[in-house]
Amino acid sequence: MDTKLEDLVMKLNTASTQEGTRFDAMLTDNGVMEVICSNNDEFPIHVAMTDTQILSVTPLFHINEVQEDKRVELNTLLLQMSPAIPLSSIGLQEGNYILFGSMALNTSFENIVHELEVQAENTLDVLEAIEELLQ
Amino acid sequence: MSILKDMFAALKGAGNEMGEAIIDANAVRILEQEIREAEEAINKARQSLTKLKGTEISMKRELNSLNTDISDYETKALEALNQGNEELALKVAERIAEHETDREDKSGEYEKLSAEVSKINTMIKNRNKVIQKNKRELEKVKTIRELQKTTSSISTNFAATGSSANRVSKALERVKKKQAKWKDTMEAGDWMAEEGDVDDLNKELKEAGIGANSVTGNSILDRLKAKQGASA
Repeated sequence: MDTKLEDLVMKLNTASTQEGTRFDAMLTDNGVMEVICSNNDEFPIHVAMTDTQILSVTPLFHINEVQEDKRVELNTLLLQMSPAIPLSSIGLQEGNYILFGSMALNTSFENIVHELEVQAENTLDVLEAIEELLQ
Repeated sequence: MSILKDMFAALKGAGNEMGEAIIDANAVRILEQEIREAEEAINKARQSLTKLKGTEISMKRELNSLNTDISDYETKALEALNQGNEELALKVAERIAEHETDREDKSGEYEKLSAEVSKINTMIKNRNKVIQKNKRELEKVKTIRELQKTTSSISTNFAATGSSANRVSKALERVKKKQAKWKDTMEAGDWMAEEGDVDDLNKELKEAGIGANSVTGNSILDRLKAKQGASA
């Protein structure tokens, strides 16, 4: 069964995980779902859908926030880190560094919740690792 | 050329680190158009295939019945020969010749038709491949488009607040503080729970008259008296 963003919003707002993570979800004007996870409420996850997949994106920082002489070092570090991060990858989208995951449209709600929780946790791990390269 | 290469070639050429919106609306339209045309072509091909297949089947049936007739007449010609009736056998042989000419014509046509049918089948398969490939390409474009949506609102936020130094560090610090607080609360909860257990145990011991908890005025007076007795 395909998932709709509207349904996800409803379900997420009453969901909680084994670790006690709760979610605050809403639909934005451009049809993207914004989710704040209680284990990391500073970096919301943006969820969008295509014909075949669910994309969960956490914008991390803009390239302008990186010290200019550290950009190559940062990129290398992020590429090295990416395979080690569970369920999420690192990308660059219009100057924004993003952490993202993609799921099939028929992914179960439990797995979506798990993915979001892990992504919120991953965000902290990645940012801690590269913090000193930022402005 | 793959659409990914197309989309990102522009970036490389411009040496543009920032990465502007690179979805070429034209490329999307072309892909969608190609998918539609291929689907239409397949539908048409399927229709004519149905007709051709029908003709193919009825021709095959005609060929089969010609074959049966020929072998039938052959048997009859042999029988006529056996009876010594050469004149009749010749007539039958002439009929067989007619049928064989007919069969040759028909089987030529039939082969052409079969080739046509298999050509159309191959064409449909190839078109389907094009459709699947284009749909995958289109999915890539749509993914980039959705990604742009997910970051479009945030990039204005970043721009608004991004000028302040250490935005990320500050946010990290806030999250860590909250997590530490949450952990403290959890630990406090555990401690409270343990304390609760201890209290329950003490209460039970007291009720059972076990432990040095039952200090009363009388017990102290007894102790003092005992002390006095001992020193006297």
